[in-house]
Amino acid sequence: MKNTIKMIIVLTVLGLLSGAALVFIYRYASPLIAQNQKDETEKAIYKIFPEGKNYDTRIIGEDSVYKVKDKNGKLLGYAFPASGNGYQGQIDMLVGIQPDLATLAGIEVLDSQETPGLGQEITTEKFENQFKGLKVSPSISYVKNQKPQNPNEIEAITGATVSSKAVVTILNERIAKIKKDLNK
Amino acid sequence: MIKDFIKGLWRENPILVQVLGMCPTLAVSTKAVFGFSMGLATTFVLISSSVTVALIKKLVPHEVRIATFTVIIATFVTCADYFLKANFYSISKALGPYVPLIVVNCIILGRAEVFASKQNVARSFLDALGMGCGFTLVLIVLGSIRELLGSGTIFNYAILGKGFEHWVVMALPAGAFITLGFLVGLFNWINQKWQR
Amino acid sequence: MNDPKPYLSPGPHIFGNQETPRMVRDVIIALMPAVAVSIYFFRIRAFLLIVISMAACVGAEAAIQFLMKRKIRITDGSAVVTGILFAMIIPPALPLWMAALGSFVAIGIAKELFGGLGSNIFNPALLGRAFLMAAFPTFMTAWNAPITLDAVTGATPLGLVKFSHNLDISYLNLFLGNVSGCIGETSAAALLLGAGYLFLRKTIDWRIPLSYLGTVAIISFITEKASPGTYAGPAFHLLAGGVIIGAFFMATDPVTSPVTKAGRWIFGIGCGLITMVIRLWGGLPEGVMYSILLMNGLTPILNRITRPKRYGT
Repeated sequence: MKNTIKMIIVLTVLGLLSGAALVFIYRYASPLIAQNQKDETEKAIYKIFPEGKNYDTRIIGEDSVYKVKDKNGKLLGYAFPASGNGYQGQIDMLVGIQPDLATLAGIEVLDSQETPGLGQEITTEKFENQFKGLKVSPSISYVKNQKPQNPNEIEAITGATVSSKAVVTILNERIAKIKKDLNK
Repeated sequence: MIKDFIKGLWRENPILVQVLGMCPTLAVSTKAVFGFSMGLATTFVLISSSVTVALIKKLVPHEVRIATFTVIIATFVTCADYFLKANFYSISKALGPYVPLIVVNCIILGRAEVFASKQNVARSFLDALGMGCGFTLVLIVLGSIRELLGSGTIFNYAILGKGFEHWVVMALPAGAFITLGFLVGLFNWINQKWQR
Repeated sequence: MNDPKPYLSPGPHIFGNQETPRMVRDVIIALMPAVAVSIYFFRIRAFLLIVISMAACVGAEAAIQFLMKRKIRITDGSAVVTGILFAMIIPPALPLWMAALGSFVAIGIAKELFGGLGSNIFNPALLGRAFLMAAFPTFMTAWNAPITLDAVTGATPLGLVKFSHNLDISYLNLFLGNVSGCIGETSAAALLLGAGYLFLRKTIDWRIPLSYLGTVAIISFITEKASPGTYAGPAFHLLAGGVIIGAFFMATDPVTSPVTKAGRWIFGIGCGLITMVIRLWGGLPEGVMYSILLMNGLTPILNRITRPKRYGT
């Protein structure tokens, strides 16, 4: 009986101490983490829109859309996060689209767990640059082992069709939704 | 006393001899810097939990010791995870779920159960430090070999020139198994030479 | 050599020592037509790759046996066979040092580290190729047209059928080997000539090639009938890619294939099934290498479960 009480006391005290420690570290870390995430988004936005100087955040439903403007306040386009399933894990991207909602300004892969050397090539400039000026209508598609013929086509990475296809699918789905949201 | 430290580096090396903690070993040793950060995070958790366990071992009833160890380890792991996220965001992202997964690393619970719950604070500290350093060293070596062959760099410094063709396999899990196999083989070979 | 030893036991048993050189000689002779045709179609590239692979295999064998303080047995010629077989299944444009590295993996890792001749689980040449495939996927899938050696990306007959549904096939070229592909696998005619020699000499057993090729033929027959526009027929699937070199020269490797008759049937059918599943529904155009390697891994189990009951037990 005495031992049981001791067990309860030890575990309770330990739990309380551990909880207190976690509260402390959380209060220290969470603003920094939020800042890191904001920095990351900001960096990606200005990478897609090099002339961008500031942006407004608009929340539509659960998604954020960033209206990016240049130094004269002219609208450069919209940036918005897009994510979905890749070959091995989730792919998180930031997508930039021009104000006409028909041409991509670029994409930036923020987070992915694709196969190194193959699928992970989606994070390279070479792959991402293919999306600059890409037409999104009727939808983005990909070709294999040849140069793209049409303005809405990209070339899939050799040996990593699944990852390339995943990026295209995520983009198409997300762009269709963003068009609806922004036209509301 | 010094033996408690040294043994983790070589004779009882957690990876090469005990073959513990294989999940982070194989998963995050793609680059030297990831191996190094993973090793440091693990060492931090290992030392903190071993010292804590050694400090409170007399207060903890035998029946709930594993639960107690787990709570202690989980607390330190969460601290390490938040710290990395707050200050080394890109490394934390690259390590992904493997930092929170330190909590199930057998090396840590193993040292708490086998060593720290029976020894004094100073010896537990040295033991944890030795084990952590041994773990970190092997991760760095593994990460360096895989990074060198997989991307031609070590700690992101270009070693092999631009003409070097990357061995994709080294960045894949298969490369981790092959490299670790060779490392263990080399280790045993050196040990045999020594014993003669 | 045709039938296994009178007693059967699990685990690969290499045939008597004095038999190895004869078998090695037979296989080398049998490969000569394919070597000649590959040099005709892929010119200097094929020649260099074959020479480098052979030299690297023999060198690796000598070096590892020396380091591991084993008896140096490069004169038995098995490393030469591995070298030629390995060269037959790599693309013509592969850089020479990659071929040397692959040969080293084939002999050093797949063969010697597993215990040397007779103890290896996986076919050394195929494991060397699998390593290169994982390490340098872009180089291992870059093809050249025969004779002119022009680069034609992704355009082996199998790739064309799979990814472009281009069913306009010249069966004569496919049979002679006048198509892009790995240097020694393209010519069905030359390989069949060699295989015929091996059968005459009773060096290889007929069960594995028959069950392998039979399974490929049956599956491709059914799938072509089911949807003629998308899938090619049995003639194509038997002649294209590495099925023929795989079925006659790789899957029949006595060390890495089962010793029992029933085991050999299962082995061949398994190879055929996996090959066709990868070819028709997998992410790659060709599945011969992985099919044989996977079945190599099952060989010890096949030997055990197909072992005849001992009398009286």
